[in-house]
Amino acid sequence: MPNDKKSQKIVDIIQNAARKHSLFVLAYGTGCGAIEIPPTMTSRYDAERFGIRGMATPRQADVLLVTGYLATKTLKRVIRAYEQMQDPKYVIGFGSCTINGGMYWDSYNTIKLLDKYIPVDVYINGCMPRPEAVIEGFIELQGLIKDGKANGATKYKENIDWYRANQKKVIKNWNMPDYNW
Amino acid sequence: MTEDKHIKEQKIVDQLSGTFQNLTGKVKRERRVEVSVEKKLIPSVLSYVKDQLTFTHMSHMSCVDWLEDEHFELVYILWSPELKVQLLVKTLINRENPVIENVDMIWGQLNTYQREIREMYGIQFTGLVGREEFVLEDWDEMPPMRRDFDTAEYIKDVFFERPGRDGAKDVREVIATRSGEEIPELAKKYSRD
Amino acid sequence: MMREKATTLYLGPQHPGITGNMMVKLKVEGDTIVKAETHVGYLHRGFEKLMERRNWLQSFTIVCRICVPEPDPNELNYARAVEEIEGREVPERAEWIRTLVMELSRLASYLLWFGGQNGSAGLYTMPQWSVGDRDYILDLFEELTGGRVYHMYIWPGGVRRDLPEGFTGRVLQTMDYLEKQLIKYDQLMFENTIFQKRAKGIGWIDPAKAIEWGVVGPPLRAAGFKSDVRIDDPYLIYDKLDFVVPTQKGSDVWARSLVRREEFQQSINMVRQIIDKMPAGEVYNKIPNPMKWTIPAGDAYVKAESARGEFGYYVVSDGGNKPRRVHVKGPAYVHGVTLLEEVLKGANISDVSFIMNSLGTCPPEIER
Repeated sequence: MPNDKKSQKIVDIIQNAARKHSLFVLAYGTGCGAIEIPPTMTSRYDAERFGIRGMATPRQADVLLVTGYLATKTLKRVIRAYEQMQDPKYVIGFGSCTINGGMYWDSYNTIKLLDKYIPVDVYINGCMPRPEAVIEGFIELQGLIKDGKANGATKYKENIDWYRANQKKVIKNWNMPDYNW
Repeated sequence: MTEDKHIKEQKIVDQLSGTFQNLTGKVKRERRVEVSVEKKLIPSVLSYVKDQLTFTHMSHMSCVDWLEDEHFELVYILWSPELKVQLLVKTLINRENPVIENVDMIWGQLNTYQREIREMYGIQFTGLVGREEFVLEDWDEMPPMRRDFDTAEYIKDVFFERPGRDGAKDVREVIATRSGEEIPELAKKYSRD
Repeated sequence: MMREKATTLYLGPQHPGITGNMMVKLKVEGDTIVKAETHVGYLHRGFEKLMERRNWLQSFTIVCRICVPEPDPNELNYARAVEEIEGREVPERAEWIRTLVMELSRLASYLLWFGGQNGSAGLYTMPQWSVGDRDYILDLFEELTGGRVYHMYIWPGGVRRDLPEGFTGRVLQTMDYLEKQLIKYDQLMFENTIFQKRAKGIGWIDPAKAIEWGVVGPPLRAAGFKSDVRIDDPYLIYDKLDFVVPTQKGSDVWARSLVRREEFQQSINMVRQIIDKMPAGEVYNKIPNPMKWTIPAGDAYVKAESARGEFGYYVVSDGGNKPRRVHVKGPAYVHGVTLLEEVLKGANISDVSFIMNSLGTCPPEIER
């Protein structure tokens, strides 16, 4: 196969089209937003017609849907699940608690800005967002994938030291493996 | 409001004051009775109401921090399915050295309640067996539910604040200050500190 | 012959089979569980500390997020506790509207339970039907209160606004639809031999010890005790409605499913009675300036019956404009920690998720 720019561009178009039409979401309900995920995935607001469905393990999933606030105990497990997922991977921040802390802005146990700990591609705001808003968030992610702009994973690899410093400030007992792929 | 309506509630208060010393009790309203007792009598009062007065269901156990009066107040809340009355047993513990006896041999689920109070307030229950951590992980500050734990200071140290959040000032004042403009009148009226 | 050692399995926070974000640490020998330990704390937000920093009216806006599948008992308990300490009267029409909201919320919670229980057994058609039908009730809530999931509608003094035009007609239409759907659920789930074989004899609770262990709600009624907060410690206007509290004798997963199905039918009847008998009048007893509203010193313990059991609130006031202490106790505090560890001894690994769904373990209310 000739290795010039034009054929690379054709491969990219086909690859991105295949990726955006089959987004597998990791089955992890991390916060209160998990109550609006069953209506999105079942018969009324059927998200499977866009290719979105749930998956059981991080090795098989593409999208990590952080549904709402994260306690520091859950943040450790979310980081571990995120680092076990394989490229290409995307993170969607769901609800206003990931954007600015939401209504738990003065709680001693939840993190306030999700973007400082793991890289976020798309935010969906609301408390709770309606299922139509969730589907619109996924369509926005599909648009970013088509343009080749959804590269939170490369940002994480390049700035791993900055992310690690922020994570260690909150998680006191650091016994996690190194991230080396 | 005559006392004739609350016959069975008054009977419970009388039976308890007759059996234990230094026990004060009163009927709050229909189906609610409250007694106060000193802390060394708690295991015997709880066993007595469970075996003799049919209060077999333990609904709740709670703790209130009275920082100004320098004591903690523990409340055991019980329910009798036959008499249909709720009983609140209250006791006071010294705040400097909070110790009280463990009672989870009477009701097994008190293990969970006592572990949480031990973690959140720092009260020691002599003889309580169970993992130290219940809800918090790797927490090495003061027990968080005490009144003198300052959450505002703690979150300033550990977490990031959203840029633009400036206490309780009105958002129009924040935007005007940031772009160097004059603060509108309506913003000054609603800003708080 | 080799002796088997016990291995440790972490049925961890990220798992498609558990009901929420908690961890159960299992020690298994082969396929049988020897010891179980519940680890919670993944959803801790420190609600009670948050409420000490907000005044009485601001606290009611955050109370509904304590229990995620069924937020209305929380709002009701907070409002009733504050009214009891202060001695505030609530107009009669507001009590009837509060009962209507509570019964609709109970129906929505049961529909979600239908989905969860069958999804953990492998019958995936049922969640598609029941979660889709639950959306019709959420549409009614959206019309009445403005929000699908978190309502913030019941506050101290009454409810926030009156019923809109034509609302009662739409509620009755939805009730007729749900009653027809119940026939289909019977055919798919309750008359299904595979579900019966999987559910009978699993997750047995000893009826002689049930009250002492603190079991409440449908598991207690499935053990043979006629115990329901709506008749034991009556609140709102339940003494004016005509309903039956069902009991069963089996005390296993099958008996609890039958109890819930019967209560579903009773709730539909209650909604029809409420709409029939509701009086006219005001809906709100206005509080004074909220920023300066103080409650006299005192304390109160109130209870309400949610779809999963008995919800209790202990509220203490010291005479100021902020709550001194609000302590929330959900039914899953006992069902999810000590009772689950007891019931899982000797169970099979493939039944863990099934048992957790039937007991109604919902982690947000264990650790608030």
